Amino acid sequence: MSEIGDALNGSAAEADAADGTTAKAKAGRHREATLYHALHGAGAGDGRTLEELRAAARDAYDSLELPVWRRSGFWTTSLADVDLDSLSSAGADSVPEVVARTLPDAPFAGRIVQSAGAVVHVELDPALAERGVVLCSLQDAFGDHPELVAEWYSKRLTIDRNKLEAANAAFWEGGVFLHVPQDVVVQAPFQIVYAIDRAGIAQYGRTLVVGGANSDFRVHEYDLAEDFDGQALHAGAFELYLQDGARCRVAQLQDWGSGEVYDASTRLVSIGRDAYCHWLPALLGGHLVRQHLELVVTEPGADMAFRGLFFAEEHEHLDVFAVDLHETGPSGGDVHWRGAATGESRASFEGLIQIDPGAQRTHTYLQIHSMMLSPRARIDAIPSVLVSADDVSASHGGTVGELDESAIFYMQSRGLDRAAAVRVIVEGFFEPLVAELDDEALEEVVREKVAAKLAAAREDIETYATSR
Amino acid sequence: MADLEIKDLYVRTEEREILRGVNLEINRGEIHALMGPNGSGKSTLANTLLGHPTYEITSGSISFKGEDITEAEPHDRAKAGLFLAFQYPVSIPGVSVANFLRMAINAKREEPIQVKEFRTQLQHAIELLDVDRAFTSRHLNDGFSGGEKKRAEILQMAMLTPDVAILDETDSGLDIDALRTVAEGVQKLHDEQGLGALIITHYQRILHYVRPQFVHILMDGRIVLEGGVELVERLEREGYDQIRQEVGAAAGAVDDGV
Repeated sequence: MSEIGDALNGSAAEADAADGTTAKAKAGRHREATLYHALHGAGAGDGRTLEELRAAARDAYDSLELPVWRRSGFWTTSLADVDLDSLSSAGADSVPEVVARTLPDAPFAGRIVQSAGAVVHVELDPALAERGVVLCSLQDAFGDHPELVAEWYSKRLTIDRNKLEAANAAFWEGGVFLHVPQDVVVQAPFQIVYAIDRAGIAQYGRTLVVGGANSDFRVHEYDLAEDFDGQALHAGAFELYLQDGARCRVAQLQDWGSGEVYDASTRLVSIGRDAYCHWLPALLGGHLVRQHLELVVTEPGADMAFRGLFFAEEHEHLDVFAVDLHETGPSGGDVHWRGAATGESRASFEGLIQIDPGAQRTHTYLQIHSMMLSPRARIDAIPSVLVSADDVSASHGGTVGELDESAIFYMQSRGLDRAAAVRVIVEGFFEPLVAELDDEALEEVVREKVAAKLAAAREDIETYATSR
Repeated sequence: MADLEIKDLYVRTEEREILRGVNLEINRGEIHALMGPNGSGKSTLANTLLGHPTYEITSGSISFKGEDITEAEPHDRAKAGLFLAFQYPVSIPGVSVANFLRMAINAKREEPIQVKEFRTQLQHAIELLDVDRAFTSRHLNDGFSGGEKKRAEILQMAMLTPDVAILDETDSGLDIDALRTVAEGVQKLHDEQGLGALIITHYQRILHYVRPQFVHILMDGRIVLEGGVELVERLEREGYDQIRQEVGAAAGAVDDGV
């Protein structure tokens, strides 16, 4: 209940700030895009052309400072260290090696790879192309499928909530467009890859996916970088629209490597009538990552499973804002995240269930489980519920776990050493979500990455576990 | 020298002293029963033998196959061939029984076990314990009933082929059919693999299915009576109180001394 109270107080603070008192307005600025202003931005879906949207975003970009997200008493996520002047978007002509190293050797329906500012590889099953599936750069889509793109581009995705969202909307290059037409069912995943192969890159990746009525498909996005010294930036924007009865499983595997990679991205999934989406970001690394994730139920009968896992290590900073927004009912929602942190990393998760007036008969649940594996690591989780309808159920729960000594002893008594026992516990902790990827090849990639992180943090974990 | 030798073992937790001079010798191929009322120190002994960090050995020693393991890490004891079937097995979410078994077996080996060999062994154990094949793909102890947990313990024991196994109240919470299956499983492992076992129990009924050669009665942290299977029958007739009265003088003396 305390979170609900907090959220309601926040709404009052927002109203005050709008009155224009200086002090409150300043507090409001820092809260931009956290709970209270989360869903309000300008410029989407109002009929403006791409050029007009780019120009408006450019204006917003010029007038905004680099964003700082602050949750008083909990965490501050600041992009102020990004040296925008030293970064530039650049062309590229080949697929970076990290892509070949990471992507599983398994069948796929299509693959598109953007490196730095250019799409360097597009591949689509010809049989699907024949059935009307489109997979191409967003830039090309504006030329080849202007009406289709215009109908959906930035329909709900805002362009000016912060400087980096504006930068994306103003400067994006390359980009990805995927359209799966009505009734097309595809089992193999469409792979979308954003890769950064060297320091100094500012990548403004933009993805638009449209699933036609009763289509059924999978999207696997990979966000990858080589290990390099120096800064790079990925300011991404992703929007997915599912039309009536469409079903989609979206997974995102993010691992920006060991470089100083900043990622501030906005992602939105909009679910239409009787449609279903299973969305699972696996956030497995990046110097500083801020993910603004919105899952929006726009029409009755929609259902969704919003999953996520994260693993922060060393000095990484991760900030996730996940919204489960129900504009109409009846609808269902099930948000379930799990995260772990080692080293001196910092992870924060804010989950919001918002049920708008009129979204009756909505049933939704939010849970976040976290596991701290080092005395210097920290995870904060704030679940919030904002309900404006009366015939609904919305609740949240969560756990903050440390290693269970009795489980460790149990496994040791079977011959596993302490490190192996810890690995089993942490892998088991993530396993329910990993298994939900429902794609063996991708599951293996995620499991291997989790195992590698645990191996890297082995000493840290052992010291921590034996010190208590 | 016996395979497992416990010499004058004193054990305490932060709160109090629990074991006060336990002596016990167990060899491969021998079945021992350790009986005693609640709070006598049975589970403490079981956990101490595997090196549970909560229990501090203040004096005495444990040796296994000639090696002093008093200070050894739990996993090293397991690798040496000791096994503990837990009274309250811990659930390990996210890890299937089969995968866990494979990890535990591989922890003892240089080379990972071949898939085929593992399957053969698993099939054998499944039949022995009369469990469903699907059982092994469930997450270990996660949502298991009491009986399933105990079966999973004995299944692990069958797969890990220890030299000496300690069964900590494996009979508690089992219905009679499950009890029979579990007990017969233990007897078979003894007959086929030469398993040595220390069966810790509060009751007599498991000992109708597994016949111990040696029976020890633990009270107030010491073994107060030892004998053969006739001791079980006597206990059944007379109860712990009667025995306590008989040995009371000795136990009382220790109590007074504390």
